[in-house]
Amino acid sequence: MSDTPEFQAESPTLEAWRMFRRNIPAVFGLVLLIVIILATLYGALFYNGDPFDIVWAPHEAPGATPDFPLGTDYLGRDIIAGLLTGGGPTLAVGAAAAALTMFIGISLGALAGYYGGWVDNLLMRFTEFFQVLPALLFAMVLVTLFSPSLWTIAFAIGVVSWPQTTRLTRAEFLKIKELEYVTAARAIGARNKRIIWKVILPNAAPPLIVSATLTIGVAILFEAGLSFLGLGDPNVMSWGLMIGANREYILDAWWPVPFPCLAIFLTVFAVSLVGDGLNDAFNPKLRQR
Amino acid sequence: MSPLLEINDLAVTFATRHGEVTALDSVSLHVNEGETLGIVGESGCGKSITALSVMGLIPQPPGRIKAGSIKLAGEEFVGATPARLRQMRGAEAAMIFQEPMTSLNPVFCVGDQIAEAIMLHQNTSRDRAFKDAIALLDRVGIPEPDKRARDYPHQLSGGMRQRVMIAMAVSCRPKLLIADEPTTALDVTVQAQIFDLLNEVQRDFGAAILLITHDMGAIAEMADRVSVMYAGRVIETATADQVLDTPQHPYARGLIDCIPALGKSETGLKEIRGVVPPLHLLGAGCAFADRCDHAQSRCLREKPKLINHGQHPAACHGVEEGRL
Repeated sequence: MSDTPEFQAESPTLEAWRMFRRNIPAVFGLVLLIVIILATLYGALFYNGDPFDIVWAPHEAPGATPDFPLGTDYLGRDIIAGLLTGGGPTLAVGAAAAALTMFIGISLGALAGYYGGWVDNLLMRFTEFFQVLPALLFAMVLVTLFSPSLWTIAFAIGVVSWPQTTRLTRAEFLKIKELEYVTAARAIGARNKRIIWKVILPNAAPPLIVSATLTIGVAILFEAGLSFLGLGDPNVMSWGLMIGANREYILDAWWPVPFPCLAIFLTVFAVSLVGDGLNDAFNPKLRQR
Repeated sequence: MSPLLEINDLAVTFATRHGEVTALDSVSLHVNEGETLGIVGESGCGKSITALSVMGLIPQPPGRIKAGSIKLAGEEFVGATPARLRQMRGAEAAMIFQEPMTSLNPVFCVGDQIAEAIMLHQNTSRDRAFKDAIALLDRVGIPEPDKRARDYPHQLSGGMRQRVMIAMAVSCRPKLLIADEPTTALDVTVQAQIFDLLNEVQRDFGAAILLITHDMGAIAEMADRVSVMYAGRVIETATADQVLDTPQHPYARGLIDCIPALGKSETGLKEIRGVVPPLHLLGAGCAFADRCDHAQSRCLREKPKLINHGQHPAACHGVEEGRL
């Protein structure tokens, strides 16, 4: 223990990024995710076409017409146009649902874990109530109660998936609040609000960031599931809606279904790779200097 | 002159699965302005609980301040409002912890942490506070303070981190500094540097220090006066020289005999036999009786009081009866 550090270490965030960069699958996932996001954001600029327009004969096979390389669906709508414009809403719902999940989960978990006692009891019984409800059924009920739109779907997914984040946040807070730097913060005169948000939460962030990325993946699947069941927003093209609408004709024409499936698979796969990479990057046990 | 910190008959209990356990039993002590009071004792004797009580940081529940008073600069803090306690923490009394490794927040750079502490108590801009933090780092002997201020705790050595803790503790110029075993986790060479720094800081900022330690060497180096604690009670209190030269209580004598010294080694180190009894098993008599070579039947029946029996106050029947 000398008084001069013999190496120049980086900040925890920079160090995590350095670890992340070394993780080839994670970087691949990040690149894939960026490509998907760019394609759904700007693809429509280069490839004109309204996904709801009937542009050709129905069930044109892929490759049969040079204008529509992936063919058309049961109404004669262009599949590529559907994929490009359907990605935006899918990703938006996923991100919005994950944001709502994290917001509810972290707020309740932080309060329960920090204050303990009756606050903890009350909040955790409330959480358990939501946890024992079957998530998909509960989400279906919520979507049918309100008219299905992108935001009610995101809301429904968020409302059914926060309990896990709450439990994770609470566990982290229970652990960190006993550490000496929390007592030290109190001893210098910090108030509870500051200790919760500025002292404990930044230290609990790594597992929560990982959980957030994984929640995005789950929310995308959830949205696809709801659309498949016919509970999606019928006025907005999404990958789930494409699968749901075309599934009845899969024996006559298989091709409209697998492409949106592949798009969902690749997106969730990319998000999971990034989440795993973040998990490894933030895990100090896997860090080598 | 009235003392800066005055603790009178403080009793703190904790609710445990063995029922209510008395962690502090009528503890009385005082710290005058600008002086250093050492509190010595084994692990679990109530040293840290005393410190936390002064800071108003006893976890309640399970802890409870059952009786007594804690006066800081004449103001009573037992039963003070949480808001008043929060104002006091850091500004009037500040604490330096045992483990510099774990008492700094790992995700913020040290300059920001000191600046935050300043901004909690002073109405000042972040830039101004950060400049003050750099000045404080310079003051506590950290080289290149403007660069180190942007370092994270894990980039600093243990001694440097303890210097940062000291800088943070004095940032709002508290009148009382509580140092809870500030050097236990550090190398011996660094220990001496930290003690020197505490002495300098005390001189420059005019703060009184409440030094909690189990190291009699630290007492000899730092303390003006000493209170020896055992099983939640103060059993002897005097100037540091008196306690080191003429300890009265058998426990205090034992502690002094435990100090290793050059040339004393041929007989081996003495030790105090046994361990501190669990607090829930304390009987009616002297808590030290079953480890004491001079215990008599009265020691098992009756708790001795902290009274001056000639030399200086000690809580022992043997001293009172003149057999020791």
